[in-house]
Amino acid sequence: MKRWYFILMGVFFLLALLVPLVVQSDYTLQILFRVFLFAALGLAWNLVGGYTGQLSLGHAAYFGVGAYSLALFSKAGVSPWVSVLLGIALAVISAAVIGSVSFRLRGPYFALCTIAFAEVLRLTAKNLPNLTGGDVGVQVPLLFPQSTTKAFYISGVLLTVIVLALTAWIEHSRFGYYLLAIREDEDAALAVGVNTARCKLWILLISAALTAIAGALYASLFLFIVPDQVLAMEISTEIAIVAMLGGAGTLIGPLVGSITLETASEIFKTFFKEANLLIYGVLIVVVVLFLPEGIVGTIANKLRVFKTAPIAPFATPEPPDPKEEARRAVISE
Amino acid sequence: MSLLETKSVSKRFGGLKAISDVSFTVRPGEMCFIVGPNGAGKTTLFNLITGVFHPDSGSIHFEGRPITNLSPDRAAKLGIGRTFQIVKPLRNLTVLENVMLGAFLRTSSPAKAEQEAIKVLKFLQMEKVLHLPARGMGLPMLKRLEIARALATKPKLVLLDEVVAGLPTSEAIQLALLLKRLPEWGISAIGGIEHVMQVVMRVADRVMVLDHGTVIAEGLPQEVVHLPVVIEAYLGSKYKEIVQ
Amino acid sequence: MNWFYSTIQAVLNGLLTGALYGLIAMGMALIFGVMRIVNFAHGAFLMLGMYATYVLFQTTGINPYYSFPLAGAVLFVIGYATYMGLLRPIRGQVDFMVILLTMGLSLIITDGVQLIFGADYHQISIPLLSKNIRLGSQISINAPWLVSFVIAAVLAAVLYFVVTHTMFGRAARAIAQNRYAAPLMGINVNQVQAVSFGIGSAAAGMAGALLLPVFYLFPDVGNQFKLKSFVMVVLGGMGSIQGAAIAGLVLGVVESLTSLYWGNEWALAVDFVIFILVLSLKPSGIFGSQRA
Repeated sequence: MKRWYFILMGVFFLLALLVPLVVQSDYTLQILFRVFLFAALGLAWNLVGGYTGQLSLGHAAYFGVGAYSLALFSKAGVSPWVSVLLGIALAVISAAVIGSVSFRLRGPYFALCTIAFAEVLRLTAKNLPNLTGGDVGVQVPLLFPQSTTKAFYISGVLLTVIVLALTAWIEHSRFGYYLLAIREDEDAALAVGVNTARCKLWILLISAALTAIAGALYASLFLFIVPDQVLAMEISTEIAIVAMLGGAGTLIGPLVGSITLETASEIFKTFFKEANLLIYGVLIVVVVLFLPEGIVGTIANKLRVFKTAPIAPFATPEPPDPKEEARRAVISE
Repeated sequence: MSLLETKSVSKRFGGLKAISDVSFTVRPGEMCFIVGPNGAGKTTLFNLITGVFHPDSGSIHFEGRPITNLSPDRAAKLGIGRTFQIVKPLRNLTVLENVMLGAFLRTSSPAKAEQEAIKVLKFLQMEKVLHLPARGMGLPMLKRLEIARALATKPKLVLLDEVVAGLPTSEAIQLALLLKRLPEWGISAIGGIEHVMQVVMRVADRVMVLDHGTVIAEGLPQEVVHLPVVIEAYLGSKYKEIVQ
Repeated sequence: MNWFYSTIQAVLNGLLTGALYGLIAMGMALIFGVMRIVNFAHGAFLMLGMYATYVLFQTTGINPYYSFPLAGAVLFVIGYATYMGLLRPIRGQVDFMVILLTMGLSLIITDGVQLIFGADYHQISIPLLSKNIRLGSQISINAPWLVSFVIAAVLAAVLYFVVTHTMFGRAARAIAQNRYAAPLMGINVNQVQAVSFGIGSAAAGMAGALLLPVFYLFPDVGNQFKLKSFVMVVLGGMGSIQGAAIAGLVLGVVESLTSLYWGNEWALAVDFVIFILVLSLKPSGIFGSQRA
C-alpha cells in the first residue's frame, strides 16, 4: 500500500478517536457510532461481496446471531464479553451451514438463498418467545458500563480499523488474489489450482465473525432487541448498499459509503421525514444506474490512481459465451 | 513411463455421445496434437483430463496415478495446466496479476509470484503489456495470456485448447515456434486444433485425429494428414476419392 | 374424526389460496424465464393493483371481481415502462444489480403509496363475503375465494395458452432458451422482453385486485407475496410457468396445513425452509429441465 495512503488513513482514524473530546452530545455520538459500525459491516461484507463477488443479501443473519447471543447467553448467566465470543462462534457455524448450501448456487439464486436463511432465523426468533422473547424482545447487557455512548463510539472506530487492516492484509496476500480470481472467473481459478469452495467458505466465516461482533455492539448500545430490528432484511440491504455505494471491491469504499449514506440519511430524516424511505429507494436506483462502481470505484477509474486495473467488477461484464450460457445450470458443476 | 494415459474413456451428455472409447498416451517431452473437425470432442476430452467433467467409463492416469475423478484444482496441483478455447482472462486485473495467479500455485509469496510471472511473460514476449488491464486487450495477447497463466503454474503437462484459433497465420506460427520450445523447460504438451495445419506440421511430434468422439487415426503428422479417412472427416467423402 | 375434516378443510382452503399464489408466481416465472430477472418489485406491483382496484371501488362501487382487468392493464403499462426505462439500461450487468434496482424501486413505490394513502389498513366489504358454500356438514368454502379461484385459474390458463400457442409466446420461449440466437431469428428481443415484463406484472396486479375483498390493504402488503413468489418459482422450476402454477397450489396447501397444526406464524418460515431444501437437493425444481 502506498505510503501516503497509509498516513492519510492513520491521520483520519486518529482524528476520529479524538472526536469524543470535542463532541459531547450523546445523539451525535450515536450517529457517528452508526457511521463507523456500518462502515465495519460494509467492510466485512466487502470481503465476500466485493472481493470474492459473492453478493450476499443475508448478512443480517450473522448480525442477529451476534446480537441475540449476547442477549441470551448473558440472560443465562454467562459474562457479556464471553457471550460475544460465543456469538462469534455461532455466527461462524451459521456461515458454514449457509455457505455450504448457498455457494453451490449461481447468479440470483445465491442471493435469494442467503435471504431465505436470514428470514428463517428472523421468523424462528419471532416464533419462539420462550427462547428469544419473540416480538416483545429481549434485554441486552451493557458491554461498557462507563461513559457508555463514548465507549461505543470508540469501539465502533476500533472495529472499523481492525476490519480495514484485515482487508488490506488480505488484499496483498495470495488469498486475496485467489478471491479476486473467484470473482472474475471461477473456472479459470480452478484451472490454476485454486480450491474455490474452500476459499469462499473461509472468507464467509471471517466476514460472519466480524459481522457478529458488530451485531453485539449494536445490540448492547440499544439495550433491547427484537427480531424485526436485528434480523431484518433491511439490515442486510443497508450493509450491501453501504459497500456498493462506496465501491465494492475497493479498500475504503465501504467507509466512504457509510459516511455518505448515514449523512444523507440524517438529512433525509430531517427534511423529508415521511419520505425518507422513498429517497433511500431513489438513492439505490441512482447508484445502480449511474454509479455501479461506487464512489471510490468511479473516482479511482477516472484518475487511474491505483497501479492495478480499473475497479469495475460489477459494471459491464463481458458478453457471455452462448455455449457457456447453455451449459450453465442453476448450480455449478 | 507414460506421462498421461487415457484408457477407453467415454462420456455422453444426454443423448449425445461426446467421447467414445478413447485411448491414448503422452510420453514425457512429447508435443502431441489432437486434431479434428468442429464438434469432434477435443474440448470435452480436455475437460475430462482436467477434471471439469468425469468420464462415464474408462480411466485416466497421470504419472501412473489415477486421476479419473479428480477436481480441476487438484489436477492443476498435480501438474496439469490448461488453456481455455474461449479465453478466460481475469478482466479486472492486469496482465501481470493474471499470470501471478498461476504462479501462486507454487509459492505463497506475492514477491516471488511476481518474479515468476515476469519470467514467463518474458518468454512469451509480453513485457510491454505487463501492467495493462486484461480487459480490452486484443485476442492474440489474450491467447498468450492464457498460455502464460498456465505455464506459471509450472505444469508437467499443459493442454492447449485451440490456442491459435482466430489468430492471423503469421502470429499463429510465431506462437507455435515458441511453444515448440516448451520441452526445453520440461513441459510436455497436448494441443487441440481444428484446422491450423501449418502449426501442427511444424510443432507436433505425434498427431491423433478425433471425429465424432472416436479416434480415427494416429501417427506422425505427415502420414496422418494424407489418410483418406482423415480427409473424409474434414471434407466429406467426395474429396476422399479425389485424393485416391 | 374432527382432525380429518379440519385437514380436508385446510387442504381445500389451501388450494383456493394456492390458485392466487400460482397466478402471482406465474407472473414472476414468466419474467424470470424470459429475462432471468428477479423482480423485487413484484410485490409492490401486486400492491399497486390492489390499491388501484380499491380506489375504483371506493369511487364507483365496481366489484373487484369485475374490475380486475383494469388492474391488469395498469400494471402492464407500469411493467412495460419499468423494463424499458430502468431495466434495459442495465441489461449487461450482474444479476445482483438488477436485484438492487428492483429493491430500490419497491421502496419508492411502497413509500410513495404510504405518503399518498397513509399507513392505515383498509378493507372493503361486498355482499359475496358473507356467502359460504357448504359441502356436507363439516366443510365449507368461502364464496369470494371460490370466485377468485375460478378467475385465477382462467387467467392462468390464458397465460399458458399465450405462452404456448401464440407467436409472442414462441418468441418469449425462444429468448428464454437462447438469448443470443433469438435476435438471429428476427425476434425483437427488447420488445418481447418488455411485453413479458408487462404481462408478468399485470398478473401480479390482477392477483392484487382479486385479493382485495379477502385481505387487508396496506402499503407493505406485497412484501410477503413477493417472498413467497421466489419460493414458488424455484419450487416449480426455473422459469417454468406450469411449474409455478403447481407450486402455487402446493404452497397454498402446505401453508394451510402448517397454520392448522403449528400456527399461522410458522407458514412463511416453512416456505423458506422448502426454498432452501429445493435449492440444496433439486435446484432445478419440480419441472426443471436442467440437470439437478
